[in-house]
Amino acid sequence: MFYAQLLVNGLVQGLVIGLAALSITLVFGIARFPNAATGDFMTFGAYAALSAHKATGSIAMGGLAAIIATGVISLLAYLAVFRRLAERSVVALLVASIGIAFFIRAVLGVAFGHSQQVFQVPLSRPYVFGSVRITPLDLQLAAVALAALALVFAILYLTPIGRQMRAVADNRDLARVSGIRPDRVMIALWLLAGSVAGVAGMMLGIKTIVTPEFGWEMLLPAFTAAILGGIGSPVGAVVAGLLLGVVQEVSTPFVGFTYKIALAFIIMLAVLLVRPRGLFGRLEGAR
Amino acid sequence: MEAYFIAIGIIALIYVILSLGLTLQYGLTGLINFGHVGFFAIGAYTSALLALKGVPLVFSFAAAAALAGLAAWPLGLVSLRLRDDYFAIVTLGFSEVVRIVITSERWLTNGVQGLPGIPRLYEGLGGSAAQLAVLVTVLAVTLVGAWIIRRIAGSPFGRLIEAIRDNEEAVQALGKDPARFKVQVLVVGAALAGIAGAFYAHYITYIVPDQFIPLVTFYVWMAIIMGGVGRVSGAIVGTAILMLFLEGSRFLRDIVPGVSEVDMASVRIGAVGLLLVLFIMYRPQGLMGDYTKR
Repeated sequence: MFYAQLLVNGLVQGLVIGLAALSITLVFGIARFPNAATGDFMTFGAYAALSAHKATGSIAMGGLAAIIATGVISLLAYLAVFRRLAERSVVALLVASIGIAFFIRAVLGVAFGHSQQVFQVPLSRPYVFGSVRITPLDLQLAAVALAALALVFAILYLTPIGRQMRAVADNRDLARVSGIRPDRVMIALWLLAGSVAGVAGMMLGIKTIVTPEFGWEMLLPAFTAAILGGIGSPVGAVVAGLLLGVVQEVSTPFVGFTYKIALAFIIMLAVLLVRPRGLFGRLEGAR
Repeated sequence: MEAYFIAIGIIALIYVILSLGLTLQYGLTGLINFGHVGFFAIGAYTSALLALKGVPLVFSFAAAAALAGLAAWPLGLVSLRLRDDYFAIVTLGFSEVVRIVITSERWLTNGVQGLPGIPRLYEGLGGSAAQLAVLVTVLAVTLVGAWIIRRIAGSPFGRLIEAIRDNEEAVQALGKDPARFKVQVLVVGAALAGIAGAFYAHYITYIVPDQFIPLVTFYVWMAIIMGGVGRVSGAIVGTAILMLFLEGSRFLRDIVPGVSEVDMASVRIGAVGLLLVLFIMYRPQGLMGDYTKR
């Protein structure tokens, strides 16, 4: 059952992509531009978690550090840059997000060096189900991701600020005349988008090797998942992320390891061609 | 010293050709091409591989332009119906896929080891005369490119693509098909990038996939944003500043001791990021742009 094993690996990978896509789709839906700095927000979260983990030895503290630090950096990016560009064209926001991405990467490169770093997590015996092996670490990571997702969806669907965010995403002008203050919604949005990206970065860092570039390389799969899920649809982003993670892993024996990202690109093109609004998107689409 | 200035001049002109392509695509037509380096890479590898097989350089350059342009065509057909921001993501993805293919298809491109020993232009002349001849050739191509772009900007075609940039629905309402013109612009810009790539490959004589990272695309973006979007003069001035910046950062390393090459690379990326943000925020019209508008 070789493929069952790939399926399990793909699900963990898919949770990382899903979280990153969730961050992208929240910003895309509410602030109305594709945030190309999401990948580097992830890198930031991974280094924050790495530092906290080294200092305290606790993964939970690492996660907390990733959530707080990345949320703050994301909010800073909004306050310093994106807020002042809110009335400008989407190009301005897009180019600015690339600039912020480069800047974060440079700061991380100077601060932490370019050598590969790993989380020193203890090795543990995997649980074996038939021929499928699941490590306790994977289960922990999945639990962390699911907890983060539960929290985000609780905020989005159960709290007043979440309702306001969804209202702004749905129709900005209508939200405004209904008395929703855009400033508070945007602050909540960027804190949330940053924290989610931070968790995704920490998970990816634990699963792989942390370098200043490693988050950027997740950008394409994350965008693909956000588009496949339907821009602005949080549920869609997560479902599409899981789907993409599994498809990437299961296809690896056929297309090879390096073409995983190319596969994400092909899927993105196919979705944009055939169904630009994605799986769960609204009618107003990508065209 | 003279050789150094000739070398800088050649690289600078290669960047000018790249920014001319982007000026046509983004500056005039409003296409957010975030994958310029992909066409640059296709041009570089096409010409290098053909030349290494013994094809005369005239034909390898033509093939570089043709193949880069051809690569833009399906991409244009597929994605030009999309909104601006989606187009940006798709082109960015395209350039990453080009780099992945170059890295992976070792039988063709020698993978990460790259292609060494690419023949130079004017190899027969030897030494500094050949260098000078290369400079003159790149300059001639640049001037022709700049002239063509200026002619396009002033022609009915130019007015039409600028109209697409400013109001696509209005163009459609007048009975013109914006998609067709966008594809043409994309192909021409990509072909220019392909020629730039060929010059680059035959000048550096050694290419590896790592030379074709998205950072290169954003060097060009930085150049046209600094210089002034949509103007040939802006592309040239912006590239001049870009070269000052790239070369200056090399000298900075000689002055400030103890800075490693990787740190310098970080500083360079950080400066590009910061400049992109600052220019977009405070001087979106660039240095050569209209000073009365914001």
